[in-house]
Amino acid sequence: MKNELELKVQAWLDGELPDHEARRMGEWIARDSEAAALAAELGCVKKAMFRHETAVALGESREFYWSKIQRQIQREAGVRRSRGLPWYARLRKYMLPLTGMAALACMLLMAVVRSGSPAFDEISSTGEGMEAVTFHDQSAQMTVVWLQDNSPAKVDQAAQKSIRYEDEPGTVIDLQ
Amino acid sequence: MSTDPDKSAWSETDLVRMAQKGDLTSFEELVARHRDKIYARAYSMMRHEEEALDLSQDAWVKGWQRLAQFQGDSSFVTWMTRIVINLCLDQLRKQKRQRAESIEAMEEDGGVERQMPVDNPNPTAGLERVELRERIDRALAQLSHEHRTVLVLHEFEELEYKEIAARMKCSIGTVMSRLFYARRRMASLLAGLRREGSE
Repeated sequence: MKNELELKVQAWLDGELPDHEARRMGEWIARDSEAAALAAELGCVKKAMFRHETAVALGESREFYWSKIQRQIQREAGVRRSRGLPWYARLRKYMLPLTGMAALACMLLMAVVRSGSPAFDEISSTGEGMEAVTFHDQSAQMTVVWLQDNSPAKVDQAAQKSIRYEDEPGTVIDLQ
Repeated sequence: MSTDPDKSAWSETDLVRMAQKGDLTSFEELVARHRDKIYARAYSMMRHEEEALDLSQDAWVKGWQRLAQFQGDSSFVTWMTRIVINLCLDQLRKQKRQRAESIEAMEEDGGVERQMPVDNPNPTAGLERVELRERIDRALAQLSHEHRTVLVLHEFEELEYKEIAARMKCSIGTVMSRLFYARRRMASLLAGLRREGSE
């Protein structure tokens, strides 16, 4: 028997054929012994399986079985709640640790800058036409600044000024 | 978790209505009533206790999340059974991608049983009800996932060809072909088991 016909016998058995085709198929099966035997075998399996599913019972206790379901429901509810928050609330969740890390990074950077900066003894700064040299003495808590006017009008005079500045209140200016 | 004696006496409709309002204890009572049926369906498709247990529990979680969609067109347990079947089918698809299916494909294209003449139109004659159930179970275990699934959906869940095709994401022709092969294989296995039993 052709495969197409076999499948039609099965469809007839399962009531899947339209009425007119089912009637013709039924008549043909009644006449054809091979088709009748196939229909009988398929029908027997169908009938045997109908309402003969093996009853399988859970080995888990009611409490144990439910506990996993409950945990999962609660966990997923938590995820959904966080998804339902407005964008700024969700952003805050990430911004808080980021802000903390940024603050920490700033503090570290400042500490590094402070510890790494050389305790200057002498700084030279040159303005337009003016030269300045600074000297700082930590032990004496004193800063001395020399100012030299290099502007063309003053070159010939070779004027040189010295300013001594004390960290303590009060400023002393020495002119040389 | 405590068993609520009042809830055990509640009607299913009331339990579903309360669960839809967010009452987890009502839902827990529904789980207690139908957990065996949902697990059994998962087991009949997966034939693996651990997988069936996990999938049945996942189905209850999904059921809770989609409870608002339950309109009462079918019974609650039928609705839950559809959920667990879909989860099992998804799992079987994942597994199929991970394993070679050459043997099953060959069988589907024309297995030995399919082409055999019918020598015993009644392979289950003379079997007692309990014995028949056991043999059906043993025979089902020997089928491929695809053939077992199509049999389970057609014979146990009583779905039509087109519904099975939609769930299994295949054509109606493939469903008919798989069902035909599965039945012939079952007939052969049941007849073989009967012969073994009589020896």
